[in-house]
Amino acid sequence: MRDLDRLLAERFNRRGFMRLAGASGVGAALLAACRRAEDAGPRATGGERPSIEEEPGNLQVFDWSGYGNGDYYPREEKQFLWSQYQRETGDTPEFILYENDSAGFTKAVSGTSFDVVHPCGYRYRDWVDAGLVQPFDTALIPNFSALNPSLMEQGVVDGQQYFVPVDWGFIAPLVNLDHVEPNEQSFGILFDERYGGRISWVDTVNMLYIAGIFHQVPDPFDMTDEELAEMRDFLIAKKSLVRFMWNQSFDFWQAFKSEEVWIGYAWPDTVGYAANRGMNYLYMEPKEGLVTWVCGMGLAADTQNYHHSHAYVDSWASEKAAEFLMAYYYYGHANQEVDLAKLPEGVVEALYLDDPSILEPPRSIPESYIPRRDVYDQYWQEVLAA
Amino acid sequence: MATLEGAGSPVAVRARRGGGRSTLGLLSGPLVWVVLFFVIPVGFIAAYSVGAVSLFPTDSGVLSLQDWGHFLGGGSIYLGLFWKSIRISLTVSLVVVLLAYPVGYYLALCVRRRKYVLLLLIIAPFLTSFLLRVLAWKVILGEQGVLNSFLSWSHVRSPDDPITWLLYGQFAVMLVLAYVWVPFVALPIFVSLENLDRSVLEAAGDLGASRWRTFVRVTLPLSLPGVLAAFLFVFIPTIGEFVTPLLVGGPSGYMFGNAINNLFTGALDWQTGSVLALFMLTVVAGLMALFGRFLQVRSVATG
Repeated sequence: MRDLDRLLAERFNRRGFMRLAGASGVGAALLAACRRAEDAGPRATGGERPSIEEEPGNLQVFDWSGYGNGDYYPREEKQFLWSQYQRETGDTPEFILYENDSAGFTKAVSGTSFDVVHPCGYRYRDWVDAGLVQPFDTALIPNFSALNPSLMEQGVVDGQQYFVPVDWGFIAPLVNLDHVEPNEQSFGILFDERYGGRISWVDTVNMLYIAGIFHQVPDPFDMTDEELAEMRDFLIAKKSLVRFMWNQSFDFWQAFKSEEVWIGYAWPDTVGYAANRGMNYLYMEPKEGLVTWVCGMGLAADTQNYHHSHAYVDSWASEKAAEFLMAYYYYGHANQEVDLAKLPEGVVEALYLDDPSILEPPRSIPESYIPRRDVYDQYWQEVLAA
Repeated sequence: MATLEGAGSPVAVRARRGGGRSTLGLLSGPLVWVVLFFVIPVGFIAAYSVGAVSLFPTDSGVLSLQDWGHFLGGGSIYLGLFWKSIRISLTVSLVVVLLAYPVGYYLALCVRRRKYVLLLLIIAPFLTSFLLRVLAWKVILGEQGVLNSFLSWSHVRSPDDPITWLLYGQFAVMLVLAYVWVPFVALPIFVSLENLDRSVLEAAGDLGASRWRTFVRVTLPLSLPGVLAAFLFVFIPTIGEFVTPLLVGGPSGYMFGNAINNLFTGALDWQTGSVLALFMLTVVAGLMALFGRFLQVRSVATG
């Protein structure tokens, strides 16, 4: 696990963290990021709160599909992700699902009630600013000490541990080598005229920053209006090449497996499925850089299940949960005590766990906070409607 | 007695007052329902569309008709999308009515026994989930789906050259929408034809009209209210459809309903979303009023 530790430390200590903190417009976060979780403010302490026995239970987990609700692995998701929670609390969580970060945030702002939520790093600031989450008391999460400190710094906003980052991964083109002959490893393959009708994009605003990365704009996560207009026009011009835009990663996998599409914007889970199926594929390391993402657990500001929520996050932070995410979804995990030798063949290579330099610039581009998300959204809507 | 029971008599007035109270009592439930779950939400959307209400930090919070002006002034890309949706809905509605009319005709006028069993068969697909029915078409239309596999098996097309345009396009959207709505259309047409006065048809025959002439001059005109109702049953909901395009539409199958859905659930632009939603509601209400002039609701129920 030393390699993983080093990899995460290097990846999140440098450009990514600086960019996230800078983009958030909060210089204090930079200093705060260096604090240990024990520095969390008085609101995070559990002393004045009802004990776990006095809490109502019936934990409401607001999460992506397949992260415990059993959509993808009915038995294993429970066994690895929250059976520890159930053992310790006697409670069975209920799941409320969202299909992407924006949908989750919108639902939460418009009144969806939850105890624990699982957004990704480039949206943390939005959740905090909207007053939807409160800081964790990391002393109530025994497995917290096993989590990578550099990664945990990503979850610190305004000096407090608002999020406990757990899973991470990449965004890159996945291609079927039986049908595609890439000239080079680049995001440009998503816009390659040779493969019209065989390409799948993701159905989110992320396609704008992917186009920005491809065009080497100075900051793809904070583009100017002119740059955004240029990316919009580029995407509209290339839209006819796209067979469909996916909302669920599994939808992309279904189409990739059945060879409806040969090329797509992909997360590592699809790589795992393709590897297990023995497909002849390439998960590119684009010359522009691999985009890296990290997602973490957040605690609802108005939760009645304060201790239950911490117990749930502790369950997610466990070694078992890490092994599950790595082995079944090919996603990285913050837990540093995982024995890499236990993982199925191919996982280490897929996540570049044996090559920490992959996460150093320029090979890596951390997915960062988008300060002008509303403007990005407008341009993306125009791409969709065109 | 005539005076006592006249319209202005105290008894009649009391009866009218009593009747008014009972009418109000009977209507109060539906009225409260409509106000709570339609009028107030629509009012909220209308307020949102002009910036009178704001929920998100990105909302302007300033009272303005700018979004309406932008949309109606032709500067918005969504107006073109609306016409595209109208075109798709019109095509689907027309095709579905043409497909469903013979079915309704056959059931109402040709079948003697077990017609209601057959009718039940038509609506049997509704016993399964809507999503399942739509997703089933992905299995049928996909490149390795039922249709392409059959074409390949029967050597009509090479397995290496499947038809790719079947799925993820406007064709797929229209096909699936037609499939989903055919039973809704067949039912009002069936009711309309079922309640035809058969003696009129017999009279046409007695007067020497051929079957075709009887259909054109008698059956079709008398069933038109049902046909119009059926047309509306499809046309109105499909304008705002977004699930089917989302699942089988691909980039070219994107419709007005998808834009509204995205603006509300993804883009956090509830103001523009409200403008679009309210515009659609207004157009649909206008169409209802227009068709209402030609369509007597009672005639659909009773023929």
